[in-house]
Amino acid sequence: MDAAERDLLGQSLRKIMTSTAAGPALDGELTDLGWPELLAELPEVAVPLVFGLLGETGTVASVLNDVILAAAGQDIGGTTTLPYAGGSWLVWDRDVEPPAEAGAESSGPTGAFAVLDPALPLRRVEAGEPLVESALAAGRRALGWWLVGSGRAMLALAREHALARAQFGRPIASFQAVRHKLAETLVALEGAEATLLLASDDFSSLLAKAAAGQAALTAAKHCQQVLAGIGYTTEHALHHHIERVLVLDGLLGSSKQLTKQIGATLRRDQVAPRYAHL
Amino acid sequence: MDVSEFRTGLRAWLEDNDLTPGPDGSLAGQVEQLGRVRRALFDAGWMRYGWPEHVGGLGGPAVLRAVLGEEIASRELAPPNFYALIEVLVPTMIDYARPELAAEMVPRLLNGDEQWCQGFSEPGSGSDLASLSTRAEQRGDTWVVNGQKVWTSLAQFAQRCVLLARTGPGHGGITAFFLDMDTPGITVRPILAMHGEEEFCEVFFDDVVIPADRLLGKVGDGWAVAGSVLPFERSTSFWHRINHLYARFDHLLAEAVDPDEGALGATYLGLHTARCRSHGTQRRLADGLPLGPETSVDKVLLGTSEQHLYDTVRELLPGAVELTDSQWRPEYLYSRAATIYGGSSEIQRNIIARRLLGLGKE
Ligand SMILES: Cc1cc2nc3c(=O)[nH]c(=O)nc-3n(C[C@H](O)[C@H](O)[C@H](O)COP(=O)(O)OP(=O)(O)OC[C@H]3O[C@@H](n4cnc5c(N)ncnc54)[C@H](O)[C@@H]3O)c2cc1C
Repeated sequence: MDAAERDLLGQSLRKIMTSTAAGPALDGELTDLGWPELLAELPEVAVPLVFGLLGETGTVASVLNDVILAAAGQDIGGTTTLPYAGGSWLVWDRDVEPPAEAGAESSGPTGAFAVLDPALPLRRVEAGEPLVESALAAGRRALGWWLVGSGRAMLALAREHALARAQFGRPIASFQAVRHKLAETLVALEGAEATLLLASDDFSSLLAKAAAGQAALTAAKHCQQVLAGIGYTTEHALHHHIERVLVLDGLLGSSKQLTKQIGATLRRDQVAPRYAHL
Repeated sequence: MDVSEFRTGLRAWLEDNDLTPGPDGSLAGQVEQLGRVRRALFDAGWMRYGWPEHVGGLGGPAVLRAVLGEEIASRELAPPNFYALIEVLVPTMIDYARPELAAEMVPRLLNGDEQWCQGFSEPGSGSDLASLSTRAEQRGDTWVVNGQKVWTSLAQFAQRCVLLARTGPGHGGITAFFLDMDTPGITVRPILAMHGEEEFCEVFFDDVVIPADRLLGKVGDGWAVAGSVLPFERSTSFWHRINHLYARFDHLLAEAVDPDEGALGATYLGLHTARCRSHGTQRRLADGLPLGPETSVDKVLLGTSEQHLYDTVRELLPGAVELTDSQWRPEYLYSRAATIYGGSSEIQRNIIARRLLGLGKE
């Protein structure tokens, strides 16, 4: 697929993600657009695009299941148990309508489990089946792209606000403390994206998920500070993204947990692997 | 010559030719070692790949220089910052010096005969380089320079200097010169840096006469000359540095007393991130794309991950920096400068805010 075709695909994806209701409706639209074929034939193009745009547009689809199932060599369209930081197991349900209003609890089948981000149809289960390494890695790359996309959405909101909001007679974007927070956010997101672009095997996918989680949390912190009062309300879109990255960071291993795992691997092997060769 | 052919040949050559530094870790010893490494690599041809024929090179893509630096840095054969000085000096000569001057001088730097320095910063002009006040006045066929430079790395060892001086008002009033350091009127006073070496100097200019054919570019091109060091500083030379940091991280893994896995993981993740970013930048350069303000991201990632590495060294090798005179001490201290030289991290964030995020003026 060349750059022009990729752009075109990106535009179509963005259009359906911004015009279709999150959840089963979007799942259906993605299938119609050719998601199953794209995932089978061009995952290196499809996954960054689809998941990056889920983050940027702030919508939700259940395609993480497909990425993991496909990488495990199973049929897509179903669900699988997913490990969460701290030893929990979750299922990402497919046919659950997202809550109608902000702040409402998920209508997930169990009903008893409240996820911080109610738009994510996650359900806690007693136990799960460990994923094969390649499936875990594929899921981590997909979530990494989602996290970076959400980070970019937060940065866009904070940037817009910084230019529009005036205090002391000038835009807050003119204050260096504000500028540097946003610059740091971009540095973190760009760095994480670079690790995702070079994520190939299991370990580099783990690294990319850790970098993406960390970058998204950095974005959340800095953008929340820049958006200040308005960003703390549920009337502004920021909180959706913040809640989302907090949840997604923990899925398939939090940045904190993965970072420890990286250190353990390095200590065992006594050598730092060099990825990214010229 | 492509990358893998070059790398394979170079590795085999390095196996047969031992360039391991001797016991003299002093600054003079390091400069000596640098000359030795360059000389051997030049004579064997490796140092000449990636540079054009008209300056003594053997041609081929610039990425070969990055590969050479990587192999040198990975084996810890030469101090990375000094080794990489070539990357900020030679491209300037190729782009701005008279062709005969470049052809005469560049081989002397590549082959280890000479050291050169970069005289940009002044006591009153650090981050605000455009405010520099060292003056150059035209007198007949020559230029006469008066003023002072500071933090000029290796000036006491250098035979030549790429100098910025003021020839008129504003950004368009800065002119670049290629100067012989033995010209009468130059006084060099080394400054003892925090890591215990006389890494840089004050350089005083008292009626120093420079022939007009030593201009780099035209009168008033100095600001462009200063900007021209950016692409290779931010690609090839960063790549050398990153590979050096990986080599040092391996030492940390071997020596760490405190097995803090979270700290080791976070440190490595920072290096990996800087490395991946730099890799993308080199790909863009190799594809012929111009490098611009987006390389400020690379600079912040590199400076931050370098300091993070040495913070972790200090934490996981308790006392190594403070109570022993191992290599960790000067390296730890030197890492504190990583967010200062070459444009401080704050200046990089200003550039990111203005040019990449479009936040308008401060
Ligand atoms: C090890 C080392 C080697 C060096 N080698 C050379 C060399 O070979 N040749 C050479 O020419 N120079 C060299 N330098 C000098 C280096 O380029 C300068 O130190 C650097 O540009 C910063 O200038 P300064 O030290 O005057 O700090 P200043 O510019 O005075 O800055 C002081 C502090 O204020 C901050 N600051 C300044 N302006 C702004 C702003 N607009 N917004 C926000 N914060 C700001 C800076 O980030 C910094 O934290 C070297 C420096 C070091 C440490």
